[in-house]
Parts: sequence; C-alpha cells; structure tokens
Amino acid sequence: MNACQDENPMDSLCHVSCQMDQSEERKDVFKLSRDWLSVQEVVDAVNSPTCGAVSLFIGTTREDQVDGRKVIGLEYEAYELMAQSEFRKLCGDLRARWPSVTHVCIHHRLGWVEVGQASVVMAISSPHRHDGQQAIQHAVTQLKATLPVWKKEVYDTKDSSWKQNVECPWSSHSQLAALSEREMSN
Amino acid sequence: MCVLLFNTELKLFVCVLYFAKSVELTGVKEEQAVAVTTPISSRDLWGLLVQRHPRLSLLQDQVVLAVRQQYVAIGDQSVTLGDGDEVAVVPPLSGG
Repeated sequence: MNACQDENPMDSLCHVSCQMDQSEERKDVFKLSRDWLSVQEVVDAVNSPTCGAVSLFIGTTREDQVDGRKVIGLEYEAYELMAQSEFRKLCGDLRARWPSVTHVCIHHRLGWVEVGQASVVMAISSPHRHDGQQAIQHAVTQLKATLPVWKKEVYDTKDSSWKQNVECPWSSHSQLAALSEREMSN
Repeated sequence: MCVLLFNTELKLFVCVLYFAKSVELTGVKEEQAVAVTTPISSRDLWGLLVQRHPRLSLLQDQVVLAVRQQYVAIGDQSVTLGDGDEVAVVPPLSGG
C-alpha cells in the first residue's frame, strides 16, 4: 500500500492503492477540501469497466429551524491525520463485509458550507448494485460514528452550536439512549 | 543489604491537540511539550488536561481522547505514552 502526500495545500488527499488478486487495483480515495465538492470527480474516481453499479451518497447542508433560529450554514473542522487513518479502517470494514466492492471514494468539506451545498460526497463501485447499495448505507453510518470531523451550525442570529451525531458512542444522545434502554430492561 | 527501587513511571512530553468545542473552552488548538507520566490511566490523562484547562470539565461524559490517532475512552484503561506522542481531545463527532 502506498499513500500520496498532499498535492494541494487546500486539500488533504489520501490515495491508497490495494493490490488484490484481481486484475484491477482497488482504490480507496479520501479528500478533505476547503473548496466546493464535485460529484463528477467522486464518481470518476470509482468508475471501472468491471463495475455495473456506482452507488452514491451526497450529504447536503439543510436549512433547519432550531428554536426559532434558521441555520444559514455549517462550519467543519477535522483531525486530518486521524481522519485519513479512520477512513482506511472504514474501507477495510466495507471490504470485509462486501468483498465485491471495487473502489471507494469519499470527499468531505472543511470550513464554511452554505445551506444547499454538499458537505460530503461518497461513491462506491461494485460489479452489481446490491453490494454497493448496502455498502454505501453502512459507510454513511460508520463515517458519522468514527470520522474525527466536527460541524458547527451557524444561525441567522449569528450564534452557533456544535452538533453531535447520534451514531457517535460518546454523544449525549447516544448515552441517553443507552440509559433509557437500561431503565426499560429493569 | 541491597535494596532495589524500580521507578516504573517515566516523565515525558506530548503534544496535545484540541478540536471543536474544546478549542472554545481552552482557547487553544495545540499545545507542545505537555508533561505527562507513562503508563497512565486515560482518566488520569484527562484529569491532567482538566487541571490545565478547568473549563474542559464541561465536556465530562461527552468526550474521548485519541492517542497516536487511536480513540481511547476515559476510564481505567492504561495508556502507554512515548515522548512526542500526539494526544487529542475528541468531543462528540459530527462528520457527514
């Protein structure tokens, strides 16, 4: 396996090529970008003549209302070095569960993301659609549970609050859920 | 008579990174040369950081650490640190 160094100071790129015993090298491509994301670029990264399916997920910034305040955008930050290693673990998990998965590409935003813009684009290619569709659902959940990335909601009132994914084991929601589960079983 | 004393606790320096809410609570993103001992329980390591930045206690129960880019829950778990290791304060994740 070999990893590329940063090619662009704006982006953090991890490009890992895995030599499997198939004729084609399988790719896991991860990019953190301060610039807007290109869905086409992510799709192109996983396209392959051996694949009949590209499964795609685009996470976009939603205009939520929270306590009468409107979300105008999200501010993202990441532990970049660890995001790359967690991405590699995520891919390892996907490939163990769905060995037919060919290429995986995730691009994630950093910095300011306005409402309506894409925060994350994920694509997985596979020979047939079933494995790719299953894998991408799992990948979204795992990303939310394990990738060291944080987002802050910014409101039209100019204040902001850090969000917590329910998938994250140490979030307050996660602990409330565990607590009520224990109470119900008593 | 010879008495042998084994000092099994080493003192060394690590780099601590702060993210998201913990940056707002401490006012810093990175600290070099933070003195720690090894081995150390993750609870004691957290306690050491709270001692440096008391407002970090607001994250109590909603935080883990990362040591050499591996998540470590706050608890009795023993952590071995090396000189120059990277430790991070990790509030609840919200990627995606």
